Amino acid sequence: MRKIIDSLTEKIIFICGMLSIVFVILIFSFLFKEGFSFFKHFGCIKFVFGTLWYPTSEPAQFGILPLIIGSFLVTLGACIVAIPIGIMTALYISEIAPKYLRDILKFLVELIATIPSVVIGFVGMIFFVPVVKLVFKVPTGLTAFSGAIMLAFMAIPTIVTISEDAIHSVPCHYREGALALGATKWQTIRRVVLKAAMPGIIAAVMLAIGRVVGETMAVMMITGNAASIPHSVFSPVRTMTATIAAEMGETVRGSMHYQALFAIGLVLFVITFIINFIADLLLETKRK
Amino acid sequence: MVNKVTVKDLVCYYGNKCVLNLLNIQIMKNEILNIIGPANSGKTTFLRTLNRMNEYNLLYSYDGKIYLDGKNIFTMKVEQLRRRISMLFAMPTPFPMSIYDNIVYAPKHLKLIKSKAEQNIIVERVLKDVSLWDEVKDRLNWPAMKISGGQQQRLCIARVLAINPEVILFDEPCSGLDPISTAKVEQTMLRLKQKYTIVFVTNNVKQAFRIGDRTAFFFMGELIEINNTKQLFHSPNNKKTADYITGRFG
Repeated sequence: MRKIIDSLTEKIIFICGMLSIVFVILIFSFLFKEGFSFFKHFGCIKFVFGTLWYPTSEPAQFGILPLIIGSFLVTLGACIVAIPIGIMTALYISEIAPKYLRDILKFLVELIATIPSVVIGFVGMIFFVPVVKLVFKVPTGLTAFSGAIMLAFMAIPTIVTISEDAIHSVPCHYREGALALGATKWQTIRRVVLKAAMPGIIAAVMLAIGRVVGETMAVMMITGNAASIPHSVFSPVRTMTATIAAEMGETVRGSMHYQALFAIGLVLFVITFIINFIADLLLETKRK
Repeated sequence: MVNKVTVKDLVCYYGNKCVLNLLNIQIMKNEILNIIGPANSGKTTFLRTLNRMNEYNLLYSYDGKIYLDGKNIFTMKVEQLRRRISMLFAMPTPFPMSIYDNIVYAPKHLKLIKSKAEQNIIVERVLKDVSLWDEVKDRLNWPAMKISGGQQQRLCIARVLAINPEVILFDEPCSGLDPISTAKVEQTMLRLKQKYTIVFVTNNVKQAFRIGDRTAFFFMGELIEINNTKQLFHSPNNKKTADYITGRFG
């Protein structure tokens, strides 16, 4: 009996493990199937480097460069804000804060992570966007900058919780070893603790980037949705994800436009894959 | 014999529990002072008080005075103190970097070295001091985690030597090592005695007998007896000491 349960459990676990791989392959092949015929008709280079996105005009233009730049700008902005704040918060929580404050902070940060992105988008639209308009004296507050800040807000909890775990699990003897050599607390943190926790911190950042790149709802509400190449961070932009979400409802199934959206999905998929791949490479070299 | 460290009426607490009671000890220059005693006798607390490593423990409190060369250590800057009284832990604690970087880590941030050439000289000198140079000279850029436990522990000693302290505290440095590595660490300690003052906490009575000049026996937070190692082992004054070193308890 015990043997049967044993082998049964093993099989169930095996199936669960395989399922995730199967799903990824299925999703990819579906995207590929829908996107590929588009690439064949429209051309890959023209699609990725085309500067005009007019999917409904005659003749239709499917250049996603503005969308790529939009995604890139918002992601980069979010990273510039979120990474330093996130890592420093994690350091404060795990290394400096007194015990009672640590628990409160951890709880609050985890609470931020649970806010649905549409709520963050809504709050940003009502409160933050007018502020941006006023402070930077731009015609509209719906800009890449506003989107980046709101996304940073969403990325910070991911960075903080995972980095904090990584920093917390740095063995105590690294700290003691450094302190016993006459290092100050800050020198210990910077040269030893951060260094030892680096793989975990990189993983945290990569996860956060993944979330930012894939985020749809909030950016759709805040970035202004103008599919043109932005002049600065204070211009409205539109991201790849927002394009798919906004236009999927209005396309005719099987049309060129419909397939173009899948092609965008394919490009997104490739980008996130590359990000993950780079993260794995970094972690691998760190481990050696 | 010159007096290096003087401990006067030291009392230590964790919360309400007294772990060291009215301790008075003198540590001489260039000696190896053994501290032996069963678990919970306050050996490690004493050691960690000497370079103030206990102060991160919120429950910890102390009273009394400790002088290093006549100066009160509790009024010194703590980084300055730890530069002069450095410590080695039970488990090898190499940092997650290369062998070379492990050694230059501390001298660099203490700004003891300026040029790359100076760094190379220090690395070679301290690795020779712990007789590790021949074993690792061709792979100084290896991660320190990749060498054996005994080598790691000697690397940690080398790392301490690189900041040129005056007193080195050893907290059971061989408890995780095999006999051959233990012998190497012991030889290293005996050699270091010429330049440094060493306080050596150990659970291993035989090891204490092999290397210490003097031995102090701690029991339940009190210093029971301190004497020449040979004398203490051959004719202890206290019955508890005799029982401990003959293995009747502890």
